[in-house]
Amino acid sequence: MVDPLAMAHEVIGIAVALPLVGFLVNGLLGRWVRRESASGVLGSAAVGGAFLIALALFVELLGQPAGERVHVVQLYQWIGAGALRVNVAFQVDQLSVLMMLIVTGVGFLIHVYSMGYMHGDPGYRRFFAYLNLFIFAMLILVLADNFLLLFLGWEGVGLCSYLLIGFWYDRKFEKGTTADAAKKAFIMNRIGDFGFLTGMFLIFATFGSLDFQTVFARASGLGAGTPVIFWITLALFLGATGKSAQIPLFVWLPDAMAGPTPVSALIHAATMVTAGLYMVARCSVLFALAPMTLSIVAAVGAATALVAASIGLVQNDIKKVLAYSTVSQLGYMFLAMGVGAFGAGMFHVTMHAFFKALLFLGSGAVIHAMHDEQDIRKMGGLGPELPLTSKTFLLGTCAIAGIPPLSGFFSKDEILWKTFSGGHTLLWLAGLAGAAMTALYMFRLYTLTFSGAKRWEAGKHPHEAPRTMTAPLVVLAVLSAIGGFVWLPENILWGNAMERWLEPVFERARAVMPLPGDGGGTAEAVLMALSVAVAGTGIWLGRRWYLSRPDVPEALSRRFAWAYRLLLNKYYVDEAYDAAFVRPLVGGSEKLLWRGIDAGVIDWCIDNGARLIGWVSGALRMVQTGIARSYVLVFMIGVVVILGWMLAR
Amino acid sequence: MAEQILNDLPRLLPEVTLTATMLLVIIVDLLTKRSAVIPAMIALLGLAASGALAIGQWGVHTTVFSGMLAVDPFAVFFKLLIAGCAVLVVLFSLGSSELNNRERPLGEYFALLMGLTLGMMLMAGANNLLMMYLALELSSISSYILAGYTREAADSSEASLKYVIYGAFSSGLMLYGISILYGLTGSLDLAVINQTLPSVVAGGGTAVYALAIAGILACAGFGYKISAVPFHFWTPDVYEGAPITITAFLSVASKAGGFAMLIRFLKVTFIDPAAVAIPAGAWATLQGFDWHYIIAALAVMTMTVGNVVAIWQTNMKRLLAYSSIAHAGYLLMGVVVMSNEGLAAIMLYFVIYLFMNLGAFYVVMLIANRTGSEDIEDYRGIGPRAPFVTVSLSIFLISLTGLPPTAGFIGKLYLFAAVLNTQGWVWLAVVGALNSVIALYYYARVLKNMYLEKSELTAPLTFSRPQRALVLLLVAPVLLLGIYFAPLAQLAQASVKIFGTP
Repeated sequence: MVDPLAMAHEVIGIAVALPLVGFLVNGLLGRWVRRESASGVLGSAAVGGAFLIALALFVELLGQPAGERVHVVQLYQWIGAGALRVNVAFQVDQLSVLMMLIVTGVGFLIHVYSMGYMHGDPGYRRFFAYLNLFIFAMLILVLADNFLLLFLGWEGVGLCSYLLIGFWYDRKFEKGTTADAAKKAFIMNRIGDFGFLTGMFLIFATFGSLDFQTVFARASGLGAGTPVIFWITLALFLGATGKSAQIPLFVWLPDAMAGPTPVSALIHAATMVTAGLYMVARCSVLFALAPMTLSIVAAVGAATALVAASIGLVQNDIKKVLAYSTVSQLGYMFLAMGVGAFGAGMFHVTMHAFFKALLFLGSGAVIHAMHDEQDIRKMGGLGPELPLTSKTFLLGTCAIAGIPPLSGFFSKDEILWKTFSGGHTLLWLAGLAGAAMTALYMFRLYTLTFSGAKRWEAGKHPHEAPRTMTAPLVVLAVLSAIGGFVWLPENILWGNAMERWLEPVFERARAVMPLPGDGGGTAEAVLMALSVAVAGTGIWLGRRWYLSRPDVPEALSRRFAWAYRLLLNKYYVDEAYDAAFVRPLVGGSEKLLWRGIDAGVIDWCIDNGARLIGWVSGALRMVQTGIARSYVLVFMIGVVVILGWMLAR
Repeated sequence: MAEQILNDLPRLLPEVTLTATMLLVIIVDLLTKRSAVIPAMIALLGLAASGALAIGQWGVHTTVFSGMLAVDPFAVFFKLLIAGCAVLVVLFSLGSSELNNRERPLGEYFALLMGLTLGMMLMAGANNLLMMYLALELSSISSYILAGYTREAADSSEASLKYVIYGAFSSGLMLYGISILYGLTGSLDLAVINQTLPSVVAGGGTAVYALAIAGILACAGFGYKISAVPFHFWTPDVYEGAPITITAFLSVASKAGGFAMLIRFLKVTFIDPAAVAIPAGAWATLQGFDWHYIIAALAVMTMTVGNVVAIWQTNMKRLLAYSSIAHAGYLLMGVVVMSNEGLAAIMLYFVIYLFMNLGAFYVVMLIANRTGSEDIEDYRGIGPRAPFVTVSLSIFLISLTGLPPTAGFIGKLYLFAAVLNTQGWVWLAVVGALNSVIALYYYARVLKNMYLEKSELTAPLTFSRPQRALVLLLVAPVLLLGIYFAPLAQLAQASVKIFGTP
């Protein structure tokens, strides 16, 4: 008898097709469906179905030996042009199944949540259509077995991100509209895409293929530090900084909060922004072969973690704080990748998906209760009004702050430990400082929102959200609480099961560069205690300053006014980009390219070329006299001329 | 001898069926006066039967009647193309008010149409200079009459007369060329001529000049049929004066027959079977003949004159006439490169051209039925009045320009690819591409008039359901073949086999 689970990967196409069907039905037929909940149920069911298939795949892989957990399912040949052969094929292995579980699992919860959150919105069906399209594109991204298909998903999620940031296209957002925020995200991502495309071209030029298996096998034959690998990985990493909001392309993510909150949770916290990390993990062998790029990755990650955390300290918009927190956490993940701890990076990706989705959905419940108020200075004392939301939010806050034994403690500590044991003391210090700031800004956020005095207007009556919204909160809270147990220290229960699960994926990379810091012992325990102490300090400060001594942070902001302004204005990065790139580009494009080259040179040539042809046409028309005699004459002349030419040669 | 004729007769069934159909139409027309539908139905059935029999010849590779006619995939492809075109033209004719608003019934018209189709099919298979001449004349004489069929209209009669004069002149020249060729080689059979020619060329002296004159004169006849510049002068006048249905038929099927004959003449007669060191799928012509350059010059002149003069046209039929001249120029590029790839591209292009060009003519006819005008000026603001047919016309015109995602783009893509894949012809592709840019101007002018210009007339133009269905039938392949064209391309590639060539 054939075990049906052993064949689960054969139906991978269905998992990808389900959200696409949901998108098509909601997108094309949605306007004829009278009940809006039908659209929501359909959209959620499509993702739920995909999640079930992902679970089946997971069980199938569990039942197989560690070395045989890679299946490539080919659907059809997509492009065949010369040497370029690209298939629509899905690679099912430990890494892609993990990503699939996150995308469809967290995605499903957020779909369910959206049924409550988006209730009554005129764009309800459009919203679910977009969400399903996003899941479809994201599945393509994580399941692709080659760079081009991955890029298709990569662009697809970018498109959905753009559509969903600007979902309420008629609303104001900061200085402009949500459409401006959407455009900013799109353009920043396009800069990253330029890097990704360049990397892809270089890969094809170097290895003659775009298939992961072929490229990685051929790359293993090259020596570490080969210049071309450096350029390939650097270009790919530029792509990753765009999608995963790292320095220098991180400025779009905070603006992406213009979209509905479930979108912030799903796309701009849990899944899409981790695409860059997934890509780096997938190409781990390429990055391992380029130590210089890895150093850059680690440095960029650590710097982003610090910079974003420091900005998060002073923001007053509940979603903005979470957005900077996301950027900062993504920085940690890149730090992990940079020091070669690909597994630890993916571990944090997973845990972060749980607690950041929880926090965003919780903030959504708060915004929902406060009737679209997002300024935490106008909140406070919401704990008793929103008991479930505040408790789950607190749990998420503790998880991200790194309090044992919650999920964030395990994953962040693993990254810090791998950084330290890899010998990167400076990066480790940066990470530690970031951890302190994380605890501080998160507890500032929690305290200002849920504790202390009520600062909202009298007319408001905050109320707990409906069941469809609170149920996902509870599930995510449970996951955030216990998720970390998949990566226990060695010799305790099942030990670091997730590391053992993922490590075969990085086998080729490990051949070049060993996994840092295995088996820490005392040193690991000391560092662990240190980071817990640091986090505890952050928490204590957060509670004390914003609950009982609000004068302290105010005095600090006056004393260090320049630093405060710098943070409040996000290091003036937007302004700097505007001055350094946007204005010169727009000016140069207008004066030189438009008026000079386009209007002056190209248009002149075209206009006069057209005039010339018009004149010739007018002249030639005269030959067609309408007199048969002259036709025959010209015919004869034609014959004679051709003959003459032929004989003359 | 008689036995052999009887044996060959089954190979001629498509043509025999058409002849029988023509006779049947005449007889039925005599019995049932004043009905257009019955003769049309008989014509459709006859064409369908003929087409089906032609499909049955797929894979045959032989000649019949002592080498008079070739039955090979190449001929079958063109026969099917011509039959398909004739079917559409019969359907067009039923809905043409210009033809139906007359005292005289359409029986004769359909009979002549069958004769014209028969002539073109014979052109596709003719393998003997005499047969070629007869086929050419059969189709020409039918077209002279059909071009003047609405003889009450002055320009129709004028068109017919000009056509006769011009046709007589060019067939005279062609006959002269054939006679010289016969004098040099002692045969009219293309294969025999091909075997004799090397010794004629090797002999040198005046014989070579005579051969050149013969070739050019024969080509003048073909050039007239495909309306290549400078043998094209009849085209605008005839296309404008003739009934639109006939113009449409001439612009596609007649051109297809002419191209089939020209290609066979060049490839079978002038090929050098002993040529070495040429790429696979390419053919070399006998020493001393720069056919490449002559045809390249014709191609450049044809497409340039066609496109450039089209710019100033004010009448839709005349505009499409010049556009069809220009298309003959593009198609000639496929002959220039003398390779199977170029040949397949021509055949692919013809199928696409069939739909887009007939479609354009049909919509022009439908609009003329309603508004009574073919002037581009009268197309102002017509878009909102007849959205379906004008959108269809836009698609046909965009396809004629060669823009994606329409089939016209795929046709041009294959043609240009064939040119670029052959050494030394990049400049020709560049000229072709520049010509497409010019073409865009005059096609876009029609679109501009339809949609961007205002008109006082706002009454919607209505069309019957069969008419809209026919437009849809033509527009669907233009869009579909723009996306999914692999089977058609394979069919064209499989149809390049010409009898008597390696």
